[in-house]
Amino acid sequence: MTKSQYYIPIGPIHPALKEPIRVEAKVEGEKIVEVDVKRGFAHRGIEYMGMKRNAIQALYLSERICGICSISHPYAFVVGSEKALGIEAPPRAQYIRTIIAELERIHSHILWLGVVAHEVGFDSLLFWTWKGREKVLDVLELISGNRINYSMYMIGGVRRDLKESHIKALKEMIDYYRIFNQEMKNLFLADPVYKARTRGVAQLSKEMALKVNAVGPTARAAGLRMDIRQDIPYDAYADIEVRGIVPQDIVGEVYGDAYDATLVRIYEIDQSVDIIEYCIDNLPEGKIMAIPNYVVLLSKIKRTKGEGIGAHEAPRGEVIHYFKYDGTRDGPAVWKVVAPSYNNINSWAPLLLGAEVADIPVVVAYIDPCMCCNDRIAVVRDSSGKIVDSTTLHRMAVEKTMRIKKELGVKE
Amino acid sequence: MTPNILAYAFAFPVLGIFLGLVYKGIDRRVSARLTSRIGPPIRQPFWDVGKLLLKETVVPENAISWLFNAMPLIALASSMTLLLYIPFGVLKAPLEGYGDLIVVLYLLTLQSLAMAIGGFASGSPFSSVGAQREMVLMMSYEMPLATVIVGFALIYRSFSLTTIASTPVWSIVGPIAGLGVIMLFIALLIVTPAELAKLPFDIAEAETEIAEGMLAEYSGRNLALFYLSDAVRGFAMAALEVVLFIPFTLSSIFNLNLTGASLYTVEALWFLFKVLVVYLLAVTLVRTSFARFRIEQASRIFWVYVNIIALVGLALVWMGV
Amino acid sequence: MVNKMMFVLLKQVVKKPFTNPFPVKHAPKNVTELIEKVQKGEVKINPPVPLPEEGFRGKIHYDPERCIGCQLCIKVCPADAMEWIPELRKIRHYVSRCMFCQLCVDICPGKKFPGEEKNVKALSMSNDFLLADYDKYSDNLIEEPPEAKEKGL
Ligand code: SF4
Ligand code: SF4
Repeated sequence: MTKSQYYIPIGPIHPALKEPIRVEAKVEGEKIVEVDVKRGFAHRGIEYMGMKRNAIQALYLSERICGICSISHPYAFVVGSEKALGIEAPPRAQYIRTIIAELERIHSHILWLGVVAHEVGFDSLLFWTWKGREKVLDVLELISGNRINYSMYMIGGVRRDLKESHIKALKEMIDYYRIFNQEMKNLFLADPVYKARTRGVAQLSKEMALKVNAVGPTARAAGLRMDIRQDIPYDAYADIEVRGIVPQDIVGEVYGDAYDATLVRIYEIDQSVDIIEYCIDNLPEGKIMAIPNYVVLLSKIKRTKGEGIGAHEAPRGEVIHYFKYDGTRDGPAVWKVVAPSYNNINSWAPLLLGAEVADIPVVVAYIDPCMCCNDRIAVVRDSSGKIVDSTTLHRMAVEKTMRIKKELGVKE
Repeated sequence: MTPNILAYAFAFPVLGIFLGLVYKGIDRRVSARLTSRIGPPIRQPFWDVGKLLLKETVVPENAISWLFNAMPLIALASSMTLLLYIPFGVLKAPLEGYGDLIVVLYLLTLQSLAMAIGGFASGSPFSSVGAQREMVLMMSYEMPLATVIVGFALIYRSFSLTTIASTPVWSIVGPIAGLGVIMLFIALLIVTPAELAKLPFDIAEAETEIAEGMLAEYSGRNLALFYLSDAVRGFAMAALEVVLFIPFTLSSIFNLNLTGASLYTVEALWFLFKVLVVYLLAVTLVRTSFARFRIEQASRIFWVYVNIIALVGLALVWMGV
Repeated sequence: MVNKMMFVLLKQVVKKPFTNPFPVKHAPKNVTELIEKVQKGEVKINPPVPLPEEGFRGKIHYDPERCIGCQLCIKVCPADAMEWIPELRKIRHYVSRCMFCQLCVDICPGKKFPGEEKNVKALSMSNDFLLADYDKYSDNLIEEPPEAKEKGL
């Protein structure tokens, strides 16, 4: 085989990627000898928008930060805001929040399993897993009114109560996933080709995981027992002893590769099912909102000064929101979001170096990246390398629009 | 060449394309049903080809354009020619007597080679990686494929497909050689998806890795030709397996006494049915239920495991004959 | 060449496909023709996946008679999908901007007609979710008081 070098651009649009990001690789034969990861294709400035709106509007904007797990950001939002504003959600609401968050973890993990199956060319398994995912989406639709973007949370509670029919559907779903997950273990973990493609690929050691600040299932697959639900428990997690799932508990040894990531995620589905079962068995009675009237809530926010940090263990890792309310307007004065994919994408470059071209999709997929969560800031430089500030950028944008309008002859 | 043969030579490609596309349609439909989907209508491949033929054919700027444009033609021509060597039920192969199993082996290689050269010629990194992979894969599966053919040559003392088709292999081998033939069959079945660039060996086209690899830069008419050649080759490969290993005619099983047109129709239908079964088992089911291997894993599978199976088969045949 | 997946798949082959064949099983030759035929009632389309019995969040339905013009919905709407019509003291709702969060429905105070016990909200969530359209300002995607259109406001 020739030893000439190829330059392979992966992204921003590529079949292995579901969202825009760019990996530039120099390849010798099948081996990657140089790699560069470029992000920042999906920055939307949501925090900026949120800082101009009131807190309720911002909460629903935060639901749109992530394309898949629409409750992770609101969860961190409500936890952080409640801390900043000194509101406490009633116990029933806390339990319902936990149930929704765990339902979402189930659907997100199954989604990931399907995606990773597709990345290794296992499309039938993709169809099969996503077929099984319909069940949890149906339950979420029944409870919240929509399959994605549940719009359930509110600062100081939840907006919809769990009814008897919902609990019945949840119980049915729990039985379904106990069986489904067992089958999934058979199909993923025991499949020889799947094992051949993922064992030893994207192998992240414990030290490396600490060095690149990996979080969530990626860190847990590397053997680090870290989980916000275990380390800083909130809501119903405080009543349940959640222990982060690590491969050494399950099989006794840690490789930290994509196979272990699969293992961790599949067993986390089991864990989520258990948590949901506990929550519906111990669901407290009572109110679901601390301040049921939004107008009253907004005026309270307007009067309160305070800051707080909210953290939630999203399916992909920890989501952290920081808030500052300054007592002059009914929305956050400062809002900062940290998403797990940002940390996890750090692991790509070291993992891809020396890997094969065939491993790129697996390495890219195994952290379950979410680009729209990851891109939290965008910096533009001019030709001399200086950072262009936002006013100049805005002026340039307006000028360009004017120019294009003139070129096209658009009349106002 | 008699006019008879010429007539065949024109009728067969048309028939071959038609059958290839129908089988592809069935394959897609069955694969969809396997994964609990509805799937496209059987005639979908015809529409696909029609649509591709209508589309613009783009030649990349840094491609070697004559090579780039010639390869789809060569690929289609080689699969068509391949078809002409395959006896169709009791119908004789049109090119019978002009070549034999060795030619078949070369024609099979030629098609993959055309794709690989086309990939190199397109000047895109994805295509180049794909073409490299195709070359490696070809080197790996060629050995077991050759072993199978040598096994048949040993049994029949001839490379002629007509000889092979006229006498079922099972009727002339003893139990030991029979076992060997079964092993050769298994080896050929494993080679089939690699030969046809289907999962788990569609490494050269890996969609998620290198964006369809060798075909990445092809579009319009060129892609349609590759599509057709792929369809024809799929049919031809399954047909070849039927001719070699499942040669039983319906009349010999049921002792039917058919003559003339009815014999030909019945046997042709029976042959098509056998091909369909082989196609569904060796291609559709396998490609639906496996993940893609990495290239070095695939190489190892062929060089070590499949080779062992094929060589043991060959040894058994040699002992038995 | 056998694995567990094969058996799972072979089991599925005899079952009915999971896909819901909405609106028709295979793509029609001519979509416009199909739509016309469906409108004339000549062809029946397959129904979409059933919705939950209650609480589905679909297109917002606006009843201007009940609206008291309090502008609360405008205050909470995260997507700015509500527009104030000062002349009529009513609102206009752009479905194409809406993200179906139901906040406006929650907050809307609504009005009580004489003889009614409780307030009825001006806004409500319907079960409509087939909202695809060529034009984001088509009649189907704007909810407004009828006068607004007549007067061209
Ligand atoms: S549902 Fe939400 S987005 Fe839509 S109009 Fe109401 S508040 Fe606005
Ligand atoms: S629709 Fe409801 S919330 Fe909006 S202005 Fe009218 S009464 Fe007020």
